[in-house]
Amino acid sequence: MTPARTGLTRYTVGLPLLIALLLALSAADFRQPQNLLNFGGQVAALLIASLGQMCVTLVAGIDLSVGAVMSLASGLLVLQSDPVLAVAMALAMGAAVGVVNGLGVAVAGVHPLVMTLSTATFLQGLCHMVLPMPGGQVPPPLVAAANGDAAGVPLSFVWCAAAVVALGALTTRTRFGLHLFAVGSQPRSAYLNGVRVRAVTVTAYVLCSVMASVAGIFLAARVATGDPNLGTSFPLETVAAVALGGVQLTGGVGSVAGVVAGTLSLGLLTNGLNVFGISPFLRGVLTGALLLAAVSVQRRRHVGL
Amino acid sequence: MTALSMRTSLPLLRLHQAATWALALPPAYLGVALLLAAAALTRPNLLSPMLLLLIMRQAAPLGLAAMGQSLVMRCRSLDLSAGGVVAMVSFLLTSGVLPLSAPLAIGAGLAIGAAVGAVNGWMIVRLRASSVIVTLSVSMILSGLVIAWSQFRSAGDAPELLRAFGLARVGGVPLPPILWLALLVPVGLFLKATAFGRSMDAVGANPRAAALSGLPHLRVLFLAHVASGLLSAAGGLLLLAFVGVGNVTLGNDLALNALAAAILGGINFGNGRGGMAGPAVAAFMLVFLFNFLTSLGLGEAGRLMLQGAIIGLAALAYALRHRGLNPT
Repeated sequence: MTPARTGLTRYTVGLPLLIALLLALSAADFRQPQNLLNFGGQVAALLIASLGQMCVTLVAGIDLSVGAVMSLASGLLVLQSDPVLAVAMALAMGAAVGVVNGLGVAVAGVHPLVMTLSTATFLQGLCHMVLPMPGGQVPPPLVAAANGDAAGVPLSFVWCAAAVVALGALTTRTRFGLHLFAVGSQPRSAYLNGVRVRAVTVTAYVLCSVMASVAGIFLAARVATGDPNLGTSFPLETVAAVALGGVQLTGGVGSVAGVVAGTLSLGLLTNGLNVFGISPFLRGVLTGALLLAAVSVQRRRHVGL
Repeated sequence: MTALSMRTSLPLLRLHQAATWALALPPAYLGVALLLAAAALTRPNLLSPMLLLLIMRQAAPLGLAAMGQSLVMRCRSLDLSAGGVVAMVSFLLTSGVLPLSAPLAIGAGLAIGAAVGAVNGWMIVRLRASSVIVTLSVSMILSGLVIAWSQFRSAGDAPELLRAFGLARVGGVPLPPILWLALLVPVGLFLKATAFGRSMDAVGANPRAAALSGLPHLRVLFLAHVASGLLSAAGGLLLLAFVGVGNVTLGNDLALNALAAAILGGINFGNGRGGMAGPAVAAFMLVFLFNFLTSLGLGEAGRLMLQGAIIGLAALAYALRHRGLNPT
């Protein structure tokens, strides 16, 4: 993997380190173990959803329906008392949404922004139908699986590590991973070289929605209840995390390490605002400024999208 | 295909031709026809001239934003900053931070829209940043600033002049849709008839070829973004004129609805099929759809589901129709 393909630069990797260093030096509260544990829990759902968003971005797509998928997953969880059935339903829903998005983009040729925006609207409506108000009870075993710890390691870290390792292996160690990059950088060449472009694209969307569903399950289990607006902020945040991590929205450039760095930057920023007691309303301003700074130093050849 | 239809009777041939022609139109035209038919069957009072004019009035802000969106999309770019622009404009005009008379304040609002568009355009053209990320970040920054500021200064009423404009009628027709059409027609003619419009189409069709043949492709893209910012601000002013009170969430779904309107109106990245009329018809279609679904008494859940399904199916039908022979 060359830097040209991973999108990793000294800025993408340096940014979270810089923020973490600044916070550690200036705020004593930041160094408290409790704060670091909170941080792991806060960032886990964003990381899992952003890793899914990365798969879609690698094939030059974008998925705005991750938020609605997360909310609907939380709604499905509180409907079921059997944890296995609840998780299976949520994951199946995610896979079905991914298939619809993927077929719309890859086979019909609808622009991904429009395709995923319309599925997001539909799913948000469905979510209001399933769960009109925040409430309900997530099956207790799931709550334990999201909040507990194993041998002193919080389980949220374990889930993060599992997602990172799985996606890392998938993108760099498998034939499918290579095809993701091939389709993203030049679909026509990929097609002429025998890559099944449509199948790869549909699979990327399925991966993204399934990861979003996992993130929704995790987040709902952490707060032990369902919420029809659980994922509202996630479509933009995942795109921000992915872009901060050096993944190019034009496809073919990106890496799991970059997404981890981007997610950590966003998460540290939020955490820093909490620690310093800065108005959470300024969070959007800082995130936006950070994003602008990040894209400004990574000059591309391409103008436009 | 032709041989087959030659043997059929002339009326059938005409019908076939008409059907082909109708399917080749942007999905918004067919969508409006179907929606109007559905409304005529189930909610005929929606089709009364008075209500149609009110729906036109309601569609004007989205129409303006969709116009701006279609300009940048023709150049293979995207503007998602409308939400932030509208929030900022509405805050500045209603909170009393600008000690200006109403006409000057309205001018300042438009200038801010153009300035935001210029910043977007500059970052996209000079820094080669992705337009999705630039405009999203700018929108986040603007709405974040407005939310943070409005803790100290609550939003008040919109200027009297603006509210009067939102309610004014000329010969029974509300003023906002007249303004919308008055902008639509000259801009459409301008793009059809001038070198600027031609180079915009050339840039969209193939940016590299346009650059190699010496067209000012960066300037075209920059100006499209300035125009889009200006039109978003104008749309925000109209929204403010209708609501009358400043509100941070005023333009929240404007950017994405404008994107949907542009695409349903036949604009796709890099092509201007559907021209200026397509997005305008699509804006009317969307607002009529929202009203129709509300009048059916479906409630929030059913309304969102139908809205998503209808936009998605229209985009699917249009994309399948224009897919061409690209195997990938």
